[in-house]
Amino acid sequence: MIDLADVTVRFDDVTAIEDVDLRIDDGEFVTVVGPSGCGKTTLLRTIGGLQTPTTGRVRIDGKPPAAAQAGADLGFVFQRHTLFQWKTALENVTFLRRLAGEEPDETDARALLETMGLEGFADARPARLSGGMRQRVAIARALHLGADVLLMDEPFGELDEITRDELGVEIRDVWRRERKTVVFVTHSVPEAVFLADRCLVVCGQPGRIEADYEIDLPEPRDANVFGSRAFQEQVATVRRTLHEAHDRDRERDLGRDQRRERDRGRDR
Amino acid sequence: MTTRIRTLAGDVFFPTAALAVAALCWWAVAVVGDVPAFVLPAPGAVVARLVGNPTLYVHNAWYTLEKVLYGGSVGIAAGFLLAVLVAYLPWFRTAVYPYLVAVRVLPKLAVAPLLLIYLGTGTETAVVFVALITFFPLVLSTAAGLERAPSAHRDLLRSVDAGPLERIVYVDLPYALPDVFAGLKQSVTLAVVGAVVAEWVIADRGLGFLILMGSENVRPDVMLAALAVLLALGLSLYGTVVLVQRGVRRWLGLEATG
Ligand SMILES: Nc1ncnc2c1ncn2[C@@H]1O[C@H](COP(=O)(O)OP(=O)(O)OP(=O)(O)O)[C@@H](O)[C@H]1O
Ligand SMILES: [Mg+2]
Repeated sequence: MIDLADVTVRFDDVTAIEDVDLRIDDGEFVTVVGPSGCGKTTLLRTIGGLQTPTTGRVRIDGKPPAAAQAGADLGFVFQRHTLFQWKTALENVTFLRRLAGEEPDETDARALLETMGLEGFADARPARLSGGMRQRVAIARALHLGADVLLMDEPFGELDEITRDELGVEIRDVWRRERKTVVFVTHSVPEAVFLADRCLVVCGQPGRIEADYEIDLPEPRDANVFGSRAFQEQVATVRRTLHEAHDRDRERDLGRDQRRERDRGRDR
Repeated sequence: MTTRIRTLAGDVFFPTAALAVAALCWWAVAVVGDVPAFVLPAPGAVVARLVGNPTLYVHNAWYTLEKVLYGGSVGIAAGFLLAVLVAYLPWFRTAVYPYLVAVRVLPKLAVAPLLLIYLGTGTETAVVFVALITFFPLVLSTAAGLERAPSAHRDLLRSVDAGPLERIVYVDLPYALPDVFAGLKQSVTLAVVGAVVAEWVIADRGLGFLILMGSENVRPDVMLAALAVLLALGLSLYGTVVLVQRGVRRWLGLEATG
């Protein structure tokens, strides 16, 4: 279980997230959606122990994230730039597990690459793979690590829509089989709804969790879901929440600016 | 296939032709222009020097190479170590880096006479001088290269609790390789310069010494022969670095493109 209590992360001149309380149960698929700069990456890095919170507390199964790191229990998938160019797809998959101090299993690694639709590319270097294929390798690598918690930061951010949908179906499929805890950050509302058991809407600057929706869609999630009414309604709900929060923030900021203007006028 | 052969022929033909033309001009000025041999010896005379007494040049080339190898190894090892310290110890970087950059503008050659006072006229002086001169380009480029790895790679390693040594070896160093080799290429070139200058100063033996003697005895043929050997030496060292780089790149499975 992931447990954040009162977490605030402050950088020199910005507060990225403020007073975040969040509990994620084992085996949940949680998506985090929100506008750019609202602190999604910061939230994910904080959960994974790559960012120390300024105040507040992060626990994974009751222990600090560093314990989960040491136990090879956190599988990160970043947006890009994380395959080693000098290693083949297969070596990339096994290497992280070896770094984590666990014995890699080549058969398992090959099987994972195949699951991700990469049969025949195990010995190819990243330079020869397309963007989508590289992200598949990165996902296979996180899965091979054997971590119970997968933390994904816009893993499909640079891919075209078709590939995104395809990979989404695959990820959800893998999750159904392996029941990992997944926290998945995305810009895309339909993606956030399609993948999730639970969708967190993050907004504002500093970022806060604006809404926490249970997503109710039929299993297995495949391309048919996109056309369904339930899907479209829930996408609309999330989208509305995002827009409302955005407008409210803007009004508040405008109001604050006007007050400031007025105060400045009075001072003169 | 045909284009490949044609470019290969062009690659070989044009430089060779240029060399032949240059030699011909040299010959024309020296022989047809009747310039005295103590001013400009004919190309044939220089070749005759080399062929007539090969052991002289081979021995002296060896002495110079020795200084390059010893001094270069020390300088490169020290430069690499310092680069690692600069890259990973913030306080060390703050303390030392400005001076490393500032010293770059200092002509290192001017330090040689000073070493003469401290270390005397032995080979040590030359070795230390070569070490000093090879050290700087490597420190600066390696230190810069070690910072090139994308931060996501470091995050990835931290996410599985990998240590700093693993980060250096598996992430930072591979990304630093182009800079390390760029530094090495500068270093070996300067190492030869350093060895020759050191030989002028300590006047013991080696190709630099041969050139010095040639100058004092007004023997441009000896000087030109020594220069030719020096050129070959420098090119071989540079070529070795290029080959090692290519080998490393192939070993890492990166295409040989730079
Ligand atoms: N290392 C850092 N140093 C200083 N400020 C940072 C740092 N990381 C993030 N920030 C700031 O924190 C805020 C939130 O950034 P974050 O990257 O978490 O947003 P995000 O929601 O992931 O955005 P995007 O969708 O564009 O990836 C931004 O204002 C950003 O400038
Ligand atoms: Mg982000």
